[in-house]
Amino acid sequence: MVELSELENDALIEIFNIGVGQAAASMSALVSEEVRMSVPSISFISRADAARLLGSRLAAEAEAPDRICGVSQHYEGAFDTDAILMFPEDKSLELVRLMVGETVPLQELTDMEQEAMCEIGNIILNACIGTLANVFEQELRGSLPEYHVGTSDEILGVSGSEPDSVVLMLHIDFALDKHQILGYVAFVLDISALHDLKEQINRYIARAMGQA
Amino acid sequence: MTDVTPERTKTVLIVDDSRVSRMMARQYILHLQPGWNVVEAGTGEESLDKARAALPDLVLMDVNMPGMGGIAAAEQLRRLAPALPISLLTANVQSATRERAEALGLGFMEKPITEARIAQLLALAGG
Amino acid sequence: MTTVREPSLDLLHSVLNAVTLGAVVLDHDRRVVLWNDWMSEHAQIPQQQALGADFLALFPALRGSRVDAAIDQALRHHFPSLLSQSLNKAPFPLYANAAAARLDERLQQAVAVTPVDVVDGGRHCLIQITDVSIAVGREKLLREQTLVLRSQTFADGLTGIANRRHFDVAIEREHRRARRHGTPLSLLMIDIDHFKAYNDHYGHQKGDQCLIQVAAALSGMLKRSADLMARYGGEEFAMILPDTDTAQATQMAEAIRARAEALAIAHAHGGASGVVTVSIGVATRSVASAVNIDTLIGAADRALYRAKKNGRNRVEAQTPG
Repeated sequence: MVELSELENDALIEIFNIGVGQAAASMSALVSEEVRMSVPSISFISRADAARLLGSRLAAEAEAPDRICGVSQHYEGAFDTDAILMFPEDKSLELVRLMVGETVPLQELTDMEQEAMCEIGNIILNACIGTLANVFEQELRGSLPEYHVGTSDEILGVSGSEPDSVVLMLHIDFALDKHQILGYVAFVLDISALHDLKEQINRYIARAMGQA
Repeated sequence: MTDVTPERTKTVLIVDDSRVSRMMARQYILHLQPGWNVVEAGTGEESLDKARAALPDLVLMDVNMPGMGGIAAAEQLRRLAPALPISLLTANVQSATRERAEALGLGFMEKPITEARIAQLLALAGG
Repeated sequence: MTTVREPSLDLLHSVLNAVTLGAVVLDHDRRVVLWNDWMSEHAQIPQQQALGADFLALFPALRGSRVDAAIDQALRHHFPSLLSQSLNKAPFPLYANAAAARLDERLQQAVAVTPVDVVDGGRHCLIQITDVSIAVGREKLLREQTLVLRSQTFADGLTGIANRRHFDVAIEREHRRARRHGTPLSLLMIDIDHFKAYNDHYGHQKGDQCLIQVAAALSGMLKRSADLMARYGGEEFAMILPDTDTAQATQMAEAIRARAEALAIAHAHGGASGVVTVSIGVATRSVASAVNIDTLIGAADRALYRAKKNGRNRVEAQTPG
């Protein structure tokens, strides 16, 4: 499996924290309330392990262990990846309710709220990849968000990637008012994408150390 | 590169739990002001110790840190040194944070750290 | 082999102005380089005025908005953005007609901002605006209808047990039966002690959870099909026990009281027990005291009141009439 040096880990966590920080600011502007988001940790794991981790972790807090909501966007350029924001279904409903401010019961996820979830995914994923693109000084193109519901396995497989692809997994801590919601962002990477990403991280660190 | 007039040696204290962030800030600062002194701290608590020892002319403080957060540490520093320029660094620019910073007499800078932004901050210390 | 003919510029132009959505394209300096007829009509800004204008000059209120940020994302990062109608209420000043414009009744909008690369032109940004007022209106109607339907059913929305409507129907039915067959009919009024304090201290979400838990536990104690437990008010429940005399009803009430206490729902701001408890008033209509429904309910209420007064977490019975 992919091993990250302490410096590489540090660099990525800092980059993603900047990304979600900006996403939090955008979301805060939408709801006129304070929104806080952070990335406490990241890890590189196989797609199969990621599905297992999500299945058990999210299920522990969720009501329906098989119902996970995901918003995915495809990015290409300096590296190719499918980025997926994930919450257990009831948490994603809670998140949307918090953002939209509606007092509709949890059971009724309508098209409009699905669209809101797409926008939330769009904001967070664009912010994460955007920050990466910035610090790497690279170009990336993205797609519009797509909404999915299913098991963790199904969601991670939406890109049609192989089960032995690597997933860069981010824990996301979301807080609005007194509510705290835990979710994940997964970046599915094939071998060449992983290689490209590592190369970019190392270049960035070299620059930080004044060696570039 | 931005045009900055070299000044007599000053000390900048950079506080961030990310080592890479500190390294980048150090690079930019020394690039703009080669003669200056850069002191680093990884936590809010450490920043207070380092500040008392190094007596910096400028403090750059990351907001999002575990333990004593950046704002709490900045508050304490402000009490120790009322005239010391302290700038908060954060990616999450919301009016609530901005207001808190203003109320405490702190500066405010958006992340990610770039050389241009560092140059702006160094100007606060007369650089 | 047939040669493929590219659509003519005229055709493209006509189509662009025929589509029923707004299409605006900005160049790298955020100047309008494309503005279709739909935009002219609904923004009430003619093409001559729009073309070449700076985007924020046309829509100054959008400075610093999500639309502004999305345009930035598209031009700088090459990322598309989606602006949902629920999170962004009608960002553009677009109207169905002049009358709506006068009242500032904007169209409901779904907005997509996507980067477009133009050969020898650099990066541009396409803004698509769709009128979703009908969909939004339909959603709103559906929601209202759901609410109406819900009130017409017999289930309490929060706890899932019978609602007040159901109780009203059931008590009438059972009272009639009791009268006809000369059998005793008992009524229990159950009220959660210090519930307002619970809500105030633990918050409304926990308050709701508490109600759901208590309702589930207590309704699970019903044994016969004719027995009914309903949510009578905010924190008040009523239990109808047909063919049950005072002694049996009091026994049941005591079991309920004990069950509620055994749930051990922590309540630091309630009674001495430190957990959520209930007070219960019992009243029975019998041949000896053949009262009507209102009198029966009144008696149960008075018994409940006595239970509260006498210290809560207890059962009191009242002979009606």
